[in-house]
Amino acid sequence: MQNNMIKISNLEKIYRTEEVETIALNKMNMEVKEGEFVAVMGPSGCGKSTLLNILGLLDDPNGGSFLFNGEEIAHYNERQRANLRKRTIGFVFQSFNLIDELTVFENVELPLIYTGVKASERKERVEAALDKMQIMHRRNHYPQQLSGGQQQRVAVARAVVNQPKLILADEPTGNLDSSNGNEVMALLTDLNDAGTTIVMVTHSEHDAKYAHRIIRMLDGQTVTESILREQL
Amino acid sequence: MFKNYLKTAWRNITGNRMVSFINLFGMTVGLTCCLLIACFVVNELSYDQFRQADNIYRVTRSFYTEKGVEYLHLASIAPAAGPLLKNDFPAVEKETRTLPLTGDIVFKYRNKIFNEQGTFFADSNFFDFFSVPVLEGNAKASLAEPFSMMVTPEIAHKYFGSEDPVNKIVQVNGQFPVKITGIFRDFPANSTFHPDILLSFSTLNDSSIYGRQKLETSWDNNAFFTYLMLPSGYPAQQLEKQFPAFLNRHAHFQGESPDYIPSKYSSLYLQKLRDIHLYSHLADEIEPNGSITAVYIFSVIALFILLIACMNYMNLATAKSLLRTKEIGVRKTLGAQRKELVFQLLSESVILAYAALIIALLLTSLLLPYLNRLADRSMSIRILAQWKIIIPVLLLPLATGFLSGIYPAFFLSSFNPVKALKGMAKYGSKTIPIRKVLVVIQFTLSIILIIATVVVFSQMRFVLHSSLGFNKDHIVTMQYNNALDNKLEAFQSELLHDRDIRSLALSSRIPSGRLLDATGIDIAAGNSIAPVNITCKYVVINSGFIPTYQIQMAEGRNFDPTQFPTDSNNLIINEAAVRLFGWKNAAEGLGKNYTYNGRKGKVIGVVKNFHFESMFQEITPVMFSLGSLKDHVFNNISIKISGDRLQSSIDDIRKTWDQFVPEVPFTYTFLDERFAKLYTAEQRQEKVFTIFACLAILIACLGLFGLSAFTISQRTKEIGIRKVLGANVRNIIILLSQDFMLLVGVASLIALPVGWIFMHRWLGVFAYHISIHWWMLLPAVVIAIIVAVVTIGVLAVRAARANPVEALRIE
Repeated sequence: MQNNMIKISNLEKIYRTEEVETIALNKMNMEVKEGEFVAVMGPSGCGKSTLLNILGLLDDPNGGSFLFNGEEIAHYNERQRANLRKRTIGFVFQSFNLIDELTVFENVELPLIYTGVKASERKERVEAALDKMQIMHRRNHYPQQLSGGQQQRVAVARAVVNQPKLILADEPTGNLDSSNGNEVMALLTDLNDAGTTIVMVTHSEHDAKYAHRIIRMLDGQTVTESILREQL
Repeated sequence: MFKNYLKTAWRNITGNRMVSFINLFGMTVGLTCCLLIACFVVNELSYDQFRQADNIYRVTRSFYTEKGVEYLHLASIAPAAGPLLKNDFPAVEKETRTLPLTGDIVFKYRNKIFNEQGTFFADSNFFDFFSVPVLEGNAKASLAEPFSMMVTPEIAHKYFGSEDPVNKIVQVNGQFPVKITGIFRDFPANSTFHPDILLSFSTLNDSSIYGRQKLETSWDNNAFFTYLMLPSGYPAQQLEKQFPAFLNRHAHFQGESPDYIPSKYSSLYLQKLRDIHLYSHLADEIEPNGSITAVYIFSVIALFILLIACMNYMNLATAKSLLRTKEIGVRKTLGAQRKELVFQLLSESVILAYAALIIALLLTSLLLPYLNRLADRSMSIRILAQWKIIIPVLLLPLATGFLSGIYPAFFLSSFNPVKALKGMAKYGSKTIPIRKVLVVIQFTLSIILIIATVVVFSQMRFVLHSSLGFNKDHIVTMQYNNALDNKLEAFQSELLHDRDIRSLALSSRIPSGRLLDATGIDIAAGNSIAPVNITCKYVVINSGFIPTYQIQMAEGRNFDPTQFPTDSNNLIINEAAVRLFGWKNAAEGLGKNYTYNGRKGKVIGVVKNFHFESMFQEITPVMFSLGSLKDHVFNNISIKISGDRLQSSIDDIRKTWDQFVPEVPFTYTFLDERFAKLYTAEQRQEKVFTIFACLAILIACLGLFGLSAFTISQRTKEIGIRKVLGANVRNIIILLSQDFMLLVGVASLIALPVGWIFMHRWLGVFAYHISIHWWMLLPAVVIAIIVAVVTIGVLAVRAARANPVEALRIE
C-alpha cells in the first residue's frame, strides 16, 4: 500500500459575513494515497470546491490538520504555499481559465516560468506536453480561437507540464460535450496510470466511474466512500 | 520571466486601446510639460557661466531716507568705488567696471548710420571677468587705449561688410571718433547682459566725455556696474561687514554738513554673479532678469500635470482590473507569488511611461520654439544633453511608471485566487474611496489652475486698462538728442503745424520708466519753523509735459515760463509729496518755500497722484522742476497725437525728424506699449497658466471618461433592469452622473480656498491689485462641472438609450 499523500483530519472552513456564518467544511476527514484517482461528489454547496481549494493550497482552513506528504501545512503562509503549489500541484478547471492575452504555448509555459525553468528546457517541455495532448498544431493560437475541448486540452497540458505529483480537477468536463469530455477523462486516466495522483470534483456519475474511489460529501462532511477499482 | 512580463504588458497595452490611449496621452503630455519645464529650469540655472563666475561678485548700493527707510536699491554704484575697493581690501583680486549707455547711441561709418542699443564702456580687464572668446585683437590690450572699441561679428558685418574692421575709425554720436581694435564673440544667450559694442573705459577720462576727476571722486553718479573677483570660497559677508567703514572713509562730497555720516544714508552689498539672473530685481538691472518664483511655479505646475496623468493610470488600471481578475487568479494558482505579480503589473506602467517619454522627447523638440517665444529665451533641446540631466530624464518615466503602477499592482495582486477565478473579486469596500479621492485630487488641481488663470487674467486687464491718472494713449516717445538743442523751437512749431499732432513735451524721465533720481531739499515741512532736509524723487520737465500727459492738477497751476520767468525756480509736486512733507492737503502746500542747491523757490502747483511707474510700485512722492535746454537735462521727447491717422502721424514725425536731425536715425515707441512691456513676465505667466489649466482639465477629463466608461459598463445590467422597470433616459443619466458630480463638487470646495490663498499671494507683488471676488472663482467651478457633465453625459446618454434586452443578455 502506498503512503498517504494527503491526510486531512477535523478540517474546518467557515465563511463569515456580517450576518451569516456558513460552515463549508465541518471537521472533515479524508486521505488520498499516492497514485490514487479520487472523485469527490455531492450536491451544490456541500463544500467540495472549498475542499479542492484547500487541497490546492489556494485557501487556508480555519482549523484542523492538513498533512501533505506527511508534513503539516495548515499553518503555511502565502509564500510557502505558493512555493509548494507551483512545484507539486497542477490544476484543471471547469472553465479552463486560460489567459486570453497569451498564446497556447505561452499559457502552458507559464508554470515553468514561475518555477524558474530555463528557456531552452521550457520549450522542450511545453512542446512535449502539447504533443501529448495533441494540440501542438495550435501552439500559436490564442484561447478564443480554440474549441472548448481544445481549450481544456491546453489546460491539461498546462497542468501537467511541471510534472506535478497531484492534479486537482474541478469539474473538468463541465463545459464540454460528451465526446470532448470523454477525451479529457481519458487523458486524466493516462496521467493517473503514469503515476500522478488525481483528485477530481464532479457532478457526473459517468466521469466519477473513471476514479478508483468516490467520496460523497454533504454539508461539509464525508458521507460515504466507495471503492470502484482496486489499486494495482 | 521578464520577457513574459514584457509580452503580457505589451498585449495588455495594445489590447485595450481606449485605456492605453488615455494613459499614454496623459503621460506624454505630463512628461512633455516636465521636459519643457526642465529645459526652462536648466536654462535659468545656467546663466553667466564665465570661467571664474563663481568668484565674481557685483557690488550694489542702496539708499536710505533720514528715517532709515530704504528708498532705492541700485545694481550699480559710483565710479570711484571700484578702484578704491581693490585698493582697500587685499581680498579683492581684481575689479572691473562697465557703464551701459542707456538708449540709442548713433554710430557712423562713411554713409552707414545706425542706432545701437548694446553699447558699454568697459575696463581693459573686462574679459578677465566675462570670458567670451576674443576673435580679433587682444583680450588684455584691445580696450586699454582711449577711443578704442571692440564689437561683435554681427556689428562688424553691419558696418564693414566683408572688410576687415580692425583699425577702422567710427564716429560716435557725432561727438568723437573711435578706432576699432578687436572683435569679441557675442555673449551667450544665457547671460545677464549682452554688449554688442565695448568702448574702452579710459575714453571716459576725456573731460569732454566724462572726465578723470569725476571718475576718481564721484560718489553720486551711481550708474557704473562694478564687479569684484574674490578668492575661491572667500566669505563675501566678511567683506560686506567692512563696507560701512569703507563708505565713511571715502563717500564724502563737497558741501556736506559736518555731521554727515555716509553709511547712515547708503550701504554697499555683494551679489554673486551666478545669482543675479534668478534672485536680483534691483531698480536698474541692465536687462530684465528671470525669477526663481517663476521657476518654482512652473516646476510645480508641470508636476501637477504629471501627477494628474499618473492618477488616470491608477484609476483606470484599478477599474480595468475587473477584466483581469481571471488572469491574476490563474497566475496565482500556477504559483506566482505576489511580488512577481506586482513586478509584472509595474512593468506595464513603466513600459507605457517609457513609450510616453519617447513621444515626449519628440514633442519637446517640436514645442521648444514656442516656449522660447513665450519665455523670450533661445533654448535648444541640446540643453538637456548633459549627464546630470539625462540620468534624471531617463529615470523620470521609471518614477512615473512606479507612481502610477504601484497602487494598481498591489491592488490587483491582492486578489484571492479562488474568488478571482470565480469573478467574485469585485472592489472591496476600501477601493472605491481611493478612486474617488484620486478623482477629487485631479479636479482640485485643475480647478486651482483655472482659478489662477482667471485671477491672472483679471489682474492683467486691471493693470493694463485701469486709469493711470493720466492719458497714456496716442503718445509717441523718442529719445532726445542734443543735436536738436538749437533747432528745438523750429522743430516743435513744424510738428505742431500738423493737425494730428497735439502737443510736445520734454522731460528727464517718462512714465513707464523707474523714478531713479532723488535729491534732498530743504523745505518748510509740516509745522516746523526751520526748513528740514527731505529726500524726494524728482523729474525735470518742460511746460508741455503736464498737458501732453493730461495730468490732473489738484491745486495751483502748470509751469508757464513765458508769463512767469521765475518758474524755473519753482516746483510742482504730487499729492504723495504733499503727504511726505507733512501738509494736510494740496492747498496747504501751495506757496511753500524751499531751498535746493542754493536755489530758492516755492511750490506753485500740486498734481493729482498718477502712476508714473508700474503697478508693482506704490505711487511715490515726486517733485517736478522746470528744466532748460542748456542744462542738458532732457532725455525724452513725448508727442501727443490725435490717434485718428496713426501711421501717417508717425510718418509726419519721421519726416520732420529727418529734416532737422538727419544725422540721427529716427526711432520711437508708443507709451502704452512701454507700459504693457512692464508686465511681460506676468503676461507670460498668464499664457502659461492658461495652457497648463487646459491641459490639466483635458487629462483629468480623459481619465473621468475612461473611468465612467468602466463604471457604466459594469452597471449595464442594472441599467437594463431599471429600464425594464420603467426608468427613462433622464433618470438613468442622473443616476450615472450624480456620483461624479458629487466628486467635482467636493473638489471645488477644496480648490476654492486653496486657489484663493495662492492667488492672493501672487497678487501681493503688485502694489495695486484687484481683490478676488466670489464671481471670479465661479467660472473655475462652472467650467469643471460643464466639462465633467459633457464627459460623463456622452457615455451616460449612450448607456441610457441602449436596448435593455441587450443589456440583460450580458450575464
